[in-house]
Amino acid sequence: MNYLFQRLAMAVMLLLAVSALTFGGMNLLGDPLFNILGPVAADTSNPTSVAKIDAAKEKYYLDRPLPERYVRWLGDMVTGDFGVQFSSTGEPPVTNLLKERTPRTFQLLVLAQFMATAISIPWALIAAARVRRPTDRISTVTSFLLIALPNFALGIILKYLLGIKLGWFPLTYTASDPFFSRLHQLILPALTIALPAAAVYQRLLRTDLVTTLQEDFILMARSKGVPRRRVLVRHALRPSLFSFITVFGINTGALIGGSLIVETIFRVPGLGSAIVEAILREDFPVVLAIVMIATTTFVLVNIAVDLLYSVLDPRVRR
Amino acid sequence: MTPLQTEHRSDVDPLLQLDDVRTHFKTERGRVRAVDGVSLTLRRGRALGIVGESGSGKTVLSRTIMGLLPSTAEVTGSIRYSGTELIGRGRGGMRGFWGREMSMVFQNPMVSLNPVMKVGEQIAEPLRLHLGMSRSDAKATATRLLTDVRIPEPERRIDQYPHELSGGMRQRVMIAIALACGPSLLFADEPTTALDVTVQAQILELIAEQRRDRNMSVVLVTHDLGVVAGHTDDIAVMYGGKLVETAPTTLLFSEMRMPYTMSLLRSIPRLDDPSHTRLPVIAGRPPDLVAPPSGCRFAPRCAYARERCHQEEPPLVPTSHPDHLYACWYPVGSDEFNEREADLVRSGAVPVAIARGEQK
Repeated sequence: MNYLFQRLAMAVMLLLAVSALTFGGMNLLGDPLFNILGPVAADTSNPTSVAKIDAAKEKYYLDRPLPERYVRWLGDMVTGDFGVQFSSTGEPPVTNLLKERTPRTFQLLVLAQFMATAISIPWALIAAARVRRPTDRISTVTSFLLIALPNFALGIILKYLLGIKLGWFPLTYTASDPFFSRLHQLILPALTIALPAAAVYQRLLRTDLVTTLQEDFILMARSKGVPRRRVLVRHALRPSLFSFITVFGINTGALIGGSLIVETIFRVPGLGSAIVEAILREDFPVVLAIVMIATTTFVLVNIAVDLLYSVLDPRVRR
Repeated sequence: MTPLQTEHRSDVDPLLQLDDVRTHFKTERGRVRAVDGVSLTLRRGRALGIVGESGSGKTVLSRTIMGLLPSTAEVTGSIRYSGTELIGRGRGGMRGFWGREMSMVFQNPMVSLNPVMKVGEQIAEPLRLHLGMSRSDAKATATRLLTDVRIPEPERRIDQYPHELSGGMRQRVMIAIALACGPSLLFADEPTTALDVTVQAQILELIAEQRRDRNMSVVLVTHDLGVVAGHTDDIAVMYGGKLVETAPTTLLFSEMRMPYTMSLLRSIPRLDDPSHTRLPVIAGRPPDLVAPPSGCRFAPRCAYARERCHQEEPPLVPTSHPDHLYACWYPVGSDEFNEREADLVRSGAVPVAIARGEQK
C-alpha cells in the first residue's frame, strides 16, 4: 500500500512537470490572439482594434505573466475546470469538447489493446512452440511487415479489404448511432492500431517464451507427463509475460499518439483529431487538457502494470 | 504411506533392458556420440548407480531412456521397459509413461520447480492429469505425499511457492512430485549435487526408503562414487558415452578393474587422510565425442595406458564373476598394471597410502 502511495505521488509530480513544460512550450509557439480575433489582431493602428485586443488579452489573462497564468490554470484544472477554448466562435468550455471526444478515443484504445493482446498471445505461443521452424519464420516475417508498415497505409489497406471488398465493417463513424453500432464501426480503426502493436508484443513474448522453455522446470513439467499444450499455457506463459506487460504499458503512450492518424483515416472525431486542430489553432487550453488526459492515462496504465508484476510472480510480492 | 497404482501392472522382470543404445546429436561440428553403445539391465525394485564425470553421457543416457531429449537427438538400439520397446515411440508415445511409469528428480531443485505455481498445485498436477483425481482429492493426496517425503507442516507448505522453501525442502517436493503417481522407475539425476552436505545424506536416504516402501526401481545418476556406494545395488561406470565397468556395488568396490573407476574413487577425499592432502585428480578432459579417440577412450588420460590401449578398443568382458564386466586391456591387478603402479609410487605421482589402500 505504501508502495502504491509512492507511485501515485510520483505520478502527480510527473503530471505537474508535463503540464508546466507543455504550458511553457505552447507559449513559445506564438500568439493565439490572431485565432481568437481574426485579422483584427494584426491591426494595431486602429483604436477599436486595440481596444478589442486589450479586452481579449484581459479576458484570457494573456496580459499576465506566464507563472501566474500557469498557477491559475492549475488551480482551475484541479477542480475539473479546463477553462474555455481560445476561439472566435464563442469560447465553449473545454470540458464540453472533452466530454464528447474522450469516450471515443478511450473505446478505440481499449478495443485496440484488447485486440492486440488477444492476437499476440496465441500467436506467440504458436511461434514459440515451433521455434525456428517454417511456421515461426513466416510469423517473424509477418510481424516485421506489420511493424514496418506505416499506420496510414495499414489503415487504408484494411479499409479497402475488410470494409469495401468484403463489406464486413462500416467505413465511417457516426457519433449518433447506438453504442454497439459505434463499437462495430470502431473495429477497423482499432485493428489498424492493434496489428502493429500485436506484432511487437508477439516478438517479445515469443522470445521470452523460447527462453522460458529452456528452463529446467519446463523439462520437469514434461517429465511429469503434462501434455505439450498445457506445458506451454500453464507452465511457460505466466513467467514469460514480464516484457510483454512492460511494453504493453509503455506502448499505451505511443498508441494515444498513433490514434491521431487512425482517427483521421476513419473519421472518428476523437481526442487525436481534436489535439491536431487545437495545435493548429494555438488553442492552448484544449492542447493542455488533452495532454493531461493522455499523461494521466499513461501513468495509470503503468501503475497497473507494476501491480500486475506481483500478481504474475509471487517472488515480487512484498 | 500414499496408496499406489501398481495393481494392474505386469510384473515382467527385468524392468528395464537396454541393448546397444546409441544417442547421437546432430550439431554443426558433426555427430556428437553422447551415448555410444550401452547395454544394461535393471531389475524390479533394484537401484542402479550410473557414475561418470561431466560429459560422460550419464545424463543423456537417463534422458534417452525417458525419451526426454531435444529433437536433434537420434536414438538407436533397443530399450525395453517391462517388455515394451520404447525407442521409436516419439514424444506422444512416451507421454503415457511419464509421471505414471517413470519419473525424474532433477539436479537443481532451485530451478526445477515452477516459480509461479504453488507447491501443492505442482504435486497435484500429475494426479489430476493421470489419475483423474478431483481437485480436493488431489490436494489431500499431495498433502500426504509431502508427509511421505518428511516435510513438516504439509498443510501450510502446500499453499506456498517454491521460493518460500529451502533447497532441501524443494528437493523433497521434487521427489514428492516424481512419486505422486506411483512410478515403477525413478530417475534421480545428481539429486544431491546442489544441496548442502548434511541435506545430501537425508535426500539419498529418503529416495532409498521410498524405493523399499514402493518396490520401485531407481536409477541414480551421479559423478560421486561416494553417493552410489551406500544407496545402490549395482553400479555402471560410464566414460566417453560407453560403459567401462559394471558390477554389483559391493563387488565393484572390492574388486574394481577399470583404472578409470579407480581414479574416480581416488578423487574422493578420505576421512583418514591427513589434512591438506592434495587430492589426486584425473588429468586432462573427457574425450571430444564428435571425434572420440581410437582405441580405449580413456587411454589419453590413463596413467596405465600402453600402446595397445591407443590402438584397439577393449571390449566389455566379464571377470570370474559373471555380473562384473569391465573394458580394459590392462585392468587393475594385472601384471602390467602393477608394474606401472610401482613406477608411479616410486616417482611420487601416487601416494603410497592411496596405492596400498585401493589395491586390497
